[in-house]
Amino acid sequence: MTTEMTQSQIRKSNSGKPFLTRQRRRTLTFYMLISPWLLGFIFLAVIPLVIGLATSFTNYDGLNLDSIKFVGLNNYTRAFGDPDVKFSVGRTLIWGALNLPLWLGLSFLMALILNQDVKGRGAYRTIFYLPSLVPIAIAVTAWRIILEPNFGMLNNLISQFTPKPVAIKWLSDYAMFGMTGISIWLGLGVGMIIFLAGLQGIPDELKEAARIDGANDWQVFRHIILVLMTPIIFFQLVMGLISSFQQLNLPLLITKVGISTTSVAPRPIYLYMIHTYTQIFTNGRYGYGTALLWLLFIGILILTIVVFWSQKFWVYDNSSEGDS
Amino acid sequence: MEAQTKGYVMKRVSRIMGYSILIITSLILISPIFFMVVSSVKIDAEYLSYPIRVFPEIPHWDRYNLVFTMTPFVKIAVRTGLLAISTATITTIISSMVGYAFARYHVPGSKQLFWLVIAMMIVPFIVILIPQFMLYSKLKLTNTYWPWFLEALGGTPFYIFLFRQFFLGFPKELEDAAEVDGCGPFRIYWQIFLPNAKPVIATVMIFAFIAVWSDYLKPLIYLNAKKTLLGVALASAFKNPQGFDLKTVSLAAGVIYVLPLILIFFIFQKNILKGVVTSGLKG
Repeated sequence: MTTEMTQSQIRKSNSGKPFLTRQRRRTLTFYMLISPWLLGFIFLAVIPLVIGLATSFTNYDGLNLDSIKFVGLNNYTRAFGDPDVKFSVGRTLIWGALNLPLWLGLSFLMALILNQDVKGRGAYRTIFYLPSLVPIAIAVTAWRIILEPNFGMLNNLISQFTPKPVAIKWLSDYAMFGMTGISIWLGLGVGMIIFLAGLQGIPDELKEAARIDGANDWQVFRHIILVLMTPIIFFQLVMGLISSFQQLNLPLLITKVGISTTSVAPRPIYLYMIHTYTQIFTNGRYGYGTALLWLLFIGILILTIVVFWSQKFWVYDNSSEGDS
Repeated sequence: MEAQTKGYVMKRVSRIMGYSILIITSLILISPIFFMVVSSVKIDAEYLSYPIRVFPEIPHWDRYNLVFTMTPFVKIAVRTGLLAISTATITTIISSMVGYAFARYHVPGSKQLFWLVIAMMIVPFIVILIPQFMLYSKLKLTNTYWPWFLEALGGTPFYIFLFRQFFLGFPKELEDAAEVDGCGPFRIYWQIFLPNAKPVIATVMIFAFIAVWSDYLKPLIYLNAKKTLLGVALASAFKNPQGFDLKTVSLAAGVIYVLPLILIFFIFQKNILKGVVTSGLKG
């Protein structure tokens, strides 16, 4: 209401030549409507990012604001000499290499099967999605029943087939595998539903036409289904990559054993973010920790750019056909 | 003829294989939830006994009573629920308004700003979360719920995106007619666009609610034990006087914690699945 008032006032004062043309008025309205997001973007994203970047060039430890010093790139050069950084980057890369292909492959396989003429598709879809609803803290608690070395269901099952009962430490010595299992359990449903929607979007005529031309099932899959799904695989890969490399929740929760809450993550899942988190929240090394965060940001950015660049080699581009 | 029978047999075999994979995978996926539920009515001695027994001798329902008597579970649950509902409502309203602007206004800068919205969806959130924490703690906003409300007031890129996609499909005539009738832009959004966006509103509300209800990292970083939310409270609560974990009570609490989410899923399955699909096909 008030804007209309001021508009008419402005119009009157510039008699004849309205200052606020329709286009200008619409521009103003647009910026008014998006202002909450714009303010949030500036104050809750840009400013924290800048603060983080500024902190990474200092020796800030949470308490020394009065004696804070600019240390240049020291925190960054230190990161390159930190053996724990080297180790945790390695673990994170292994984590990504294990988790991502398994998740993509299994979700895709399940979607392919469900896309057949399957009885009870809705029920399977529900069962597959249910784990994604379980909050991560509870997911880890529930999985302990299965992965516990001595009383866990999995070792118990394996022991049925081994001469001696086994006590594989799925959550410490072999935590990489335990964590991968939990992670795929949590993500399979989401991946499968997205792939299934993609598969259902492939027109039947295309597959029929290929069959009439003499293509067998494998050829239809390889040259039509897989090709048309590449944009979705690509997108899932990018999102999965970004979330894998910043994984913190899972190793943090797996580490929390018994009464000790400050224990260090087992070496196999000592991921990059665990190292960073420890620097900031356990050791109070804010300067160093924020430098590690920015290095993660740059690392993920480079990987994302590489994947985007690789698109032209394997992702089907349908924009030339005017459909998108 | 022979080729036909061969094809038929092949089809049968692949069907049986398909169903076997589906059934085995379903069993594996369900098992953690199943074990959590049956173990939640065991006493700890049964949970830690060898050889392992899947079912308890008699169900100990008192584990569920212990959840409520040992911790202020109800208080924390109500707090988490209220925070989730209120911030979900705020972020839904703001995101719909911003999404409406991006869908219907093509003005200088709108395209570039929308790219920023998309870019924010792929910035690793952890890189922002930790400096945010530093900022909040300087402003004395840690151990309050302000971070949740401030972030809700700024809208959420993914929800803005969902609303924009939905509003893009509205006919231009709808807007023009309203404008001719003298409707201001805010009224067009509030009285014409928003009431017609119920499916997206439901999807966004549910996603935003689940995000807060299930969260672990933010309450862990922002809040102390006195003010914390369910995710953190349940990951660390339930110890006996000697300080040892009461494992099965934690499991019972977990079951109660997950139950509302399962209910929401069964009621709003369509909206949720649609939201998930959009999240994956937006590229």
